[in-house]
Amino acid sequence: MALSLEYFAKETASNLWRNRVMGLAAVLTVAVSLSLVGTSLLLRQAVNRQVSQFGANTSLAIFVNPSATTQQQADIRSTISQTPQITHCTFLNHEQSYEQAKRVLASAPAAVSVLTPATTPTVFGGQLSNPADATTLMATFQGVPGVYMATSPVQSIHVLEQVTNVLQVVLIVIALLLLVSSLVLILNAIRMAIFARRREVSVMKLVGATNWFIRVPFMLEGLVQGLLGSAVAVFVVLLANLGVGYLVHRYHVSVLSSTVLPAHDVLMTELIVVLVGAVVGVAGSTVAVRRFLDV
Amino acid sequence: MIRFENVSKAYKGAEGDALHDISLEILKGEFVFLVGASGSGKTTFLKLLLREEVADGGSVYVAGRDIGQLSHWRVPQLRRNLGCIFQDFRLLPSRTVAENVAFALEVIGRPRSVIKEQVGQVLELVGLGQKHHRMPDELSGGEQQRVAIARAFVNRPLVLLADEPTGNLDPATSQGIMKLLDRINRTGTTVVMATHDVGIVDAMRRRVIELDHGKLIRDQARGVYGYDNSSTSRGIPAVSVASVLDEDLGPATGRVAAVRARRGIR
Repeated sequence: MALSLEYFAKETASNLWRNRVMGLAAVLTVAVSLSLVGTSLLLRQAVNRQVSQFGANTSLAIFVNPSATTQQQADIRSTISQTPQITHCTFLNHEQSYEQAKRVLASAPAAVSVLTPATTPTVFGGQLSNPADATTLMATFQGVPGVYMATSPVQSIHVLEQVTNVLQVVLIVIALLLLVSSLVLILNAIRMAIFARRREVSVMKLVGATNWFIRVPFMLEGLVQGLLGSAVAVFVVLLANLGVGYLVHRYHVSVLSSTVLPAHDVLMTELIVVLVGAVVGVAGSTVAVRRFLDV
Repeated sequence: MIRFENVSKAYKGAEGDALHDISLEILKGEFVFLVGASGSGKTTFLKLLLREEVADGGSVYVAGRDIGQLSHWRVPQLRRNLGCIFQDFRLLPSRTVAENVAFALEVIGRPRSVIKEQVGQVLELVGLGQKHHRMPDELSGGEQQRVAIARAFVNRPLVLLADEPTGNLDPATSQGIMKLLDRINRTGTTVVMATHDVGIVDAMRRRVIELDHGKLIRDQARGVYGYDNSSTSRGIPAVSVASVLDEDLGPATGRVAAVRARRGIR
């Protein structure tokens, strides 16, 4: 058995080396394809995390018209307290609202410069028990007298999700096409390996080597090609996550910090990448062995 | 050791049977020549034994087993009991003499110590004890065939099948190969050799099985290539066989006593 393992390792290594040009094409295609799979998985997770972070404090911001009467303000306040979907409410006066505006609009100093504390609308901030209610509530409060505007980030989250979905579908479709071509490339690489080894194979059949013994080196070759491709992809995925982390840090966009995935999630993604690589390699070589190695 | 019972085999698209209703038995330790013109069915006969082909009708038995009934995964076991050599040697050009022989044991999972010992022994037996590390293309044709014989015999098969093993060799070298096959036969190994070589068959005086268009037309102990080689110097057999056939040969009797008696052969 020990000898067989050594034999398989030797045969596989020499097959890989003989066949290195075809093998390289197969490996690179697997690498590109799995990099796409990996990064699209990362993207999906990052967006989900970001959305759930937003969702956790999904809020309704009700800007009060600066010309609103005190009575109207009191009415708004009581309407909010009578709305069961709003669990918690904060009020920002002109000063506080101006401070918040300066923070939110930090990247647009021109907009801030036209604001004064007096002209900045006061804001009721409401916490929602269920983000799904946001749209209805926005419409309701838009109609209350004295309300300048009612907004919720739900809309932009929705857009973000839609864009992500489309992007992910596109990435997955490209990745699948590339996976199919890498399967074909591996299949072809193994076919050529079998052809190059036809003398050995015929001798092996003649002296009574078992079918599995003949097949294993070729299947291992496919597996190794798939795994080499996924190794490259693992590296790419790791770099992608580190890159996002660097950008978030570099440009101080702490709002997006949850797009940087924790090690555990990255590890899961990497595992999937490796698994898919292995499956593609074994599948390609199995088809090749079944079709071209009639034992 | 080997028994054919009413074996027939036809290839798709080919006219007539490659083998037609062959029945015979080859005992353990026999040395048998398989003769006949090209296309007479010799190679099909060997392929059936190796189970590279399966008979359409009848049964082929090797060591008591009906090999037509063997399941797919048992075929390797059958082949381990059959050594095989060919006209074109079929050595692996990228491996040395010793590696070529060792390969046959490696791929059936023999341990390294056994391989080393047996390869040394068998190369000594075939007279290549000094050439372990030579490459096949550095050897003469006769030496290459010796390597092939070593590879076929290293696992001590019950039967050695040889498909025109001297077809590419000059007469002197062929004689050496035949001596070697004879020596292997004396160890108790059954040898079945398909050949066109009249000289060898005549010189060896072993059992001869002759096929013609897939039919068994002669099965003779201590035979010669053709019947009539006593009258002509070394007659072309096909013609003379036909003339003798009618008077002498019952198809199933096999060994033809009348012919032997007439020739003064025991």
